[in-house]
Amino acid sequence: MLTLTHFLVLAGLLMSIGLAGIFINRKNIIILLMCVELILLAVNLNFIAFSHYLGNVEGQIFVFFILTVAAAEAAIGLAILVVLFRRRQSINVDELDSLKG
Amino acid sequence: MSVTPDLLPATAEIFVLIMTCIILVVDTFTPEKYRASSYILTQGTLLGALLITIGLYTEQSIVTFHNTFILDPLASMLKGIIYIVVFAVLIYSKHFLQQHKMFKGEYFVLMLASVLGMMVMVSAYSFVTLYLGLELLSLSLYAMIAMQDQAKSAPEAAMKYFVLGAMASGLLLYGMSMIYGATGTLHLAEIQTNILDKFETHSLLLSFGLVFIIVAVAFKLGAVPFHMWVPDVYHGAPTAVTIFIGSAPKIAAFAMLFRLLVDGLESLHTSWQDILIILAILSMAVGNIIAIAQTNIKRMLAYSTVAHVGFILLGILSVSQSGYSASMFYTITYTIMAVGGFGMVLLLSHKGFDAERISDFKGLSTRAPWFAVMMMIFMFSMAGVPPFLGFWAKLLVLKAVVVEADMVWLAAIAVFFSIIGIFYYLRIIKFMFFDKAEDSEHLTITQGMAVTMSINGVVVLLLGLYPGILLTYCVQAITHVIQ
Amino acid sequence: MENNLVEQDMSIYLAIVLAPLMGAIIAGVFGRYISRTMAHQVTIVGVAISAALSLLVFKHFALEDMTTINETIYTWMVSDGLHLEVGFLIDKLTAMMMVVVTFVSLMVHIYTIGYMHDDSGYKRFFSYISLFTFSMLMLIMANNFVQLFFGWEAVGLVSYLLIGFWYTRETAIYANLKAFIVNRVGDFGFILGIALVAMTFNSLDYQDVFAASTLHTESTIALFPGTHWSTITVICLLLFIGAMAKSAQAPLHVWLPDSMEGPTPISALIHAATMVTAGIFMVARMSPLFELSPVALNFILLIGAVTAFFMGLLGIVQNDIKRVIAYSTLSQLGYMTVALGASAYAASIFHLMTHAFFKALLFLAAGSVIIAMHHEQDIRKMGGIRHYMPITWITFLLGTLALIGTPGFAGFFSKDSIIMAVHASQLPGANIAYLAILLGVFITAFYSFRLYFLVFHGQPRMDHHTKADLHETPKVVTVPLILLAIPSVLIGALFVADMVFGDFFGAAIMVLPEHDVLATLAKDYHGIIAMVLHSFKSLPFWLMLAGIMSAWYLYMVNPSLPEKLSQRLLIIHKVLLNKYYFDDINSTVFAGGARQLGTFLSRFGDTQVIDGWFVNGSAKLVAWFSSIIRHIQSGYLYHYAFAMMLGLATLLVLLLTTVISH
Repeated sequence: MLTLTHFLVLAGLLMSIGLAGIFINRKNIIILLMCVELILLAVNLNFIAFSHYLGNVEGQIFVFFILTVAAAEAAIGLAILVVLFRRRQSINVDELDSLKG
Repeated sequence: MSVTPDLLPATAEIFVLIMTCIILVVDTFTPEKYRASSYILTQGTLLGALLITIGLYTEQSIVTFHNTFILDPLASMLKGIIYIVVFAVLIYSKHFLQQHKMFKGEYFVLMLASVLGMMVMVSAYSFVTLYLGLELLSLSLYAMIAMQDQAKSAPEAAMKYFVLGAMASGLLLYGMSMIYGATGTLHLAEIQTNILDKFETHSLLLSFGLVFIIVAVAFKLGAVPFHMWVPDVYHGAPTAVTIFIGSAPKIAAFAMLFRLLVDGLESLHTSWQDILIILAILSMAVGNIIAIAQTNIKRMLAYSTVAHVGFILLGILSVSQSGYSASMFYTITYTIMAVGGFGMVLLLSHKGFDAERISDFKGLSTRAPWFAVMMMIFMFSMAGVPPFLGFWAKLLVLKAVVVEADMVWLAAIAVFFSIIGIFYYLRIIKFMFFDKAEDSEHLTITQGMAVTMSINGVVVLLLGLYPGILLTYCVQAITHVIQ
Repeated sequence: MENNLVEQDMSIYLAIVLAPLMGAIIAGVFGRYISRTMAHQVTIVGVAISAALSLLVFKHFALEDMTTINETIYTWMVSDGLHLEVGFLIDKLTAMMMVVVTFVSLMVHIYTIGYMHDDSGYKRFFSYISLFTFSMLMLIMANNFVQLFFGWEAVGLVSYLLIGFWYTRETAIYANLKAFIVNRVGDFGFILGIALVAMTFNSLDYQDVFAASTLHTESTIALFPGTHWSTITVICLLLFIGAMAKSAQAPLHVWLPDSMEGPTPISALIHAATMVTAGIFMVARMSPLFELSPVALNFILLIGAVTAFFMGLLGIVQNDIKRVIAYSTLSQLGYMTVALGASAYAASIFHLMTHAFFKALLFLAAGSVIIAMHHEQDIRKMGGIRHYMPITWITFLLGTLALIGTPGFAGFFSKDSIIMAVHASQLPGANIAYLAILLGVFITAFYSFRLYFLVFHGQPRMDHHTKADLHETPKVVTVPLILLAIPSVLIGALFVADMVFGDFFGAAIMVLPEHDVLATLAKDYHGIIAMVLHSFKSLPFWLMLAGIMSAWYLYMVNPSLPEKLSQRLLIIHKVLLNKYYFDDINSTVFAGGARQLGTFLSRFGDTQVIDGWFVNGSAKLVAWFSSIIRHIQSGYLYHYAFAMMLGLATLLVLLLTTVISH
């Protein structure tokens, strides 16, 4: 029997993987975008799980909104990535350090 | 509950949305030499929205869209200030945009979209609307930063802001999901009523959610240690975008902070008070100290923002009506000063030269004495020198901390770091009035810019002499929400 | 309806204050964009508006018996119950002062057109004198101590600017520095006094303070551990120290003679008619406080007597036309102070008013002579000028007669009232004071007529070039002289009955019944004519006559005698010439000592300890620290994300531990 806790733990794990991915990865920016998606999916899972166990539909509605926004976010992220690549000929996270101090 | 919601309270938002679409279409069919029409339409939209918001002003709270949207004095006032600030921002940045080939319809559309996002945030009465507003604002900002395609650092700034911002909104949503799980609702008003019963049984879940939400809000405000994006983004973004990011969104962020912590989760204040104390002290310390070492004015102002955010948090953490209104007063005050300060950077920029170094201000008193005085007013005000506006903001916040929260030690720390902060503000004044100019190029100051800058400076001075005018409105707005 | 009336009135008072300020701003800040004519037109119109409205207000109060107005128009801040605000307290005292200030100021403005005609700082000068008028009005119209202090300081500042107006002259720089420093000494006492008022009464509003003053008569303060001082006495003494500096009472008088370095119009405006009267006015305004402290009153009485007598003596040996008048100002201020000490506030204020007119007249007439003499001020090089400058001569003579108290002239009524009041006073020091001011009458008459004879009579002693060019000055100079001569003659007779012996000031001045010397005098007052007639039988009149006769004998009949006398009385003459060595003592003991201490503190204390260790040290430390920790901002995205995670984790641990422990 799956309980709410199972879902929450799974979502928590996904969240952690996403967050860890952002600061452990030092190579490719595209991986960062994937990590962001992972975080959002973890959140969605959380909402749906709660929604189901509370018997309240609002959480699921919110998930639709989040999915939509996530799509827009991915679009903007990729667009910035393209601009960045054009300017630098590189999408390496390590080289993104001209602004500092 | 009727199916069609009452649209009246959201008239301003709807107006801005429609106008954004119109500008998008009009711009497509306008030849290059009539590009200014989009600019004028944008300014017109802001003025129109201001009129609508004033017209809709009520002393009551009107809730619509199934309890997800609220129109109350707080929302009306903050929106009004957002329009005025953005209006000034546009005037300041027009010249810069033209010279950097950014004077395009897309820019104005994105700007209006972010204004719309801010409006929704300010009026949000549920997690859904809050999140949507936030994302609308953020996504537009990312795009605006990346728009200047010649600049080397702009895409980097945009990328950093984007990744960190997306992560922060992920954290926000995660926190929201926890609160949702504990209280079973997404509406702020219901959360506030439900939370009292659930506090005993779900305290762990609530605390978890609370921390995540605070982290996200702190990110948006730029509080230490979630401030790392601020200097890089302010520095890397084109100055015309920096002035925008540095001003109006702070008001929206304050609204977000207030709606979430006070409107929604005030019952948990014993928990969030301690967190905010830590964030406030760190912000004031890090902001003021690192600002001293800066040579780039945009970066310096970015760190000064971080320090000011510490003060804004001080007002909120005193958990009292006067503290909240002091905080609101501080936010508005800061926005007015920041617009002026960044406006001066734009004013000094000319073709092929962005006056970004602090040393570019050297000798300004001989090149443009009037504007040197204006900059002096902004700097004195930011430093908190009486009788300028910034002094009152600091005083009110400190008073709330001492009187309401009874934390004299915290006020002492705040004063200590403000004194350190005075150093870098005064350095600019010293450069302007006592050093020789390095740049002898004639300044081209458009009339609109000159007039706006003068009004901006005089407002800082006059509101400093009559702080009661603004304060009364702040107190009214906050009192209304608290009841 | 009544509210409406008050509204309307307040706008009048605002206009009175702001009109000169606007003039000052236009002539000063925008001076670059306007012509010289514009500059004087703007400022004169401003002051004229102010003068006309002041007259109107005076009419309301004097003839229509309007009730006192006490209104706050702007609150700057409220801190811990203390209100910092701008407001006006208008009663008969204020109304009278307003007329005096604005009228004299207006005359000086007009006169300046002629006097400063060729000066390159023309617009700056007009801006300053208008600013001065504004400051003085703020001072006298204040209804609270903060505004009083603002006006007090603003007046001091503008006088500093004006004394040093010719800032290329070294003597002018020295003089304005001196004025500034001496006034700082007084301000030190003054602000301490205000602070003590705030501490004792927890309010800075006149009305609150006066109303509560009687409650504090018994309270004491321990200035030194174990001693008990009456709080009211300490307050009064401290406030009076401020008045001593501003109204040039010994020993803080040293700045006033030197301030004659400034152009003559400001000598008339500031150092005769208005600024120096600020101290007198302040004491009269604070009468409800001073009345409660006999110690302070006695102190005031003695200081005034010393000033009146000894400063007059100095006038005898001076050879600079303006300095003689300056010393006479000092001496007359001494008279006013004596009257304050004797609780004859009304007589003091009355003398202040008459003095303002005739002293402004004397200064302006002296200025007229100076113009004609091509800025030669030494009276030994003048003589016989009456033939060349009839209007200046007549008006100067009228001023002199008023000054020495010739029966019937303005000065007579005020000075005689003071002398009688002191005679009637019961204070312990009253007898000495009476003697001092009686002798003062002789001295005043002597030096005044010495000046008059040397300048206007006798053989011309100037060089041929100047003599050939001597002629009457233009109308802008002579018209103010004539206009000032009228009140100098008449104003005493017009107002003496009401102001001194009547109850003109009403509640504006508070006098305890046991101190009320003027009320005793009033019983013997039977009209102006009687007063004049009575004076012929009294001592002051004969002393005055003796003074005139001696001057006549020494300088007209036997002009070689003064030289012989001064050699006979070499020591006295030397002491007088050196002004009792006040300046030397000040510059060696106080200034010299302070300089040495200052040099030591600056070399060791400031440069090394404070600057070196604390200021620069801490600044360096912070800057160093800043340059280190800015490297936290490494520029790497993953560091930023990591910092956020770290923050999140810390906060989570922090909160969860507290939640779980509950």
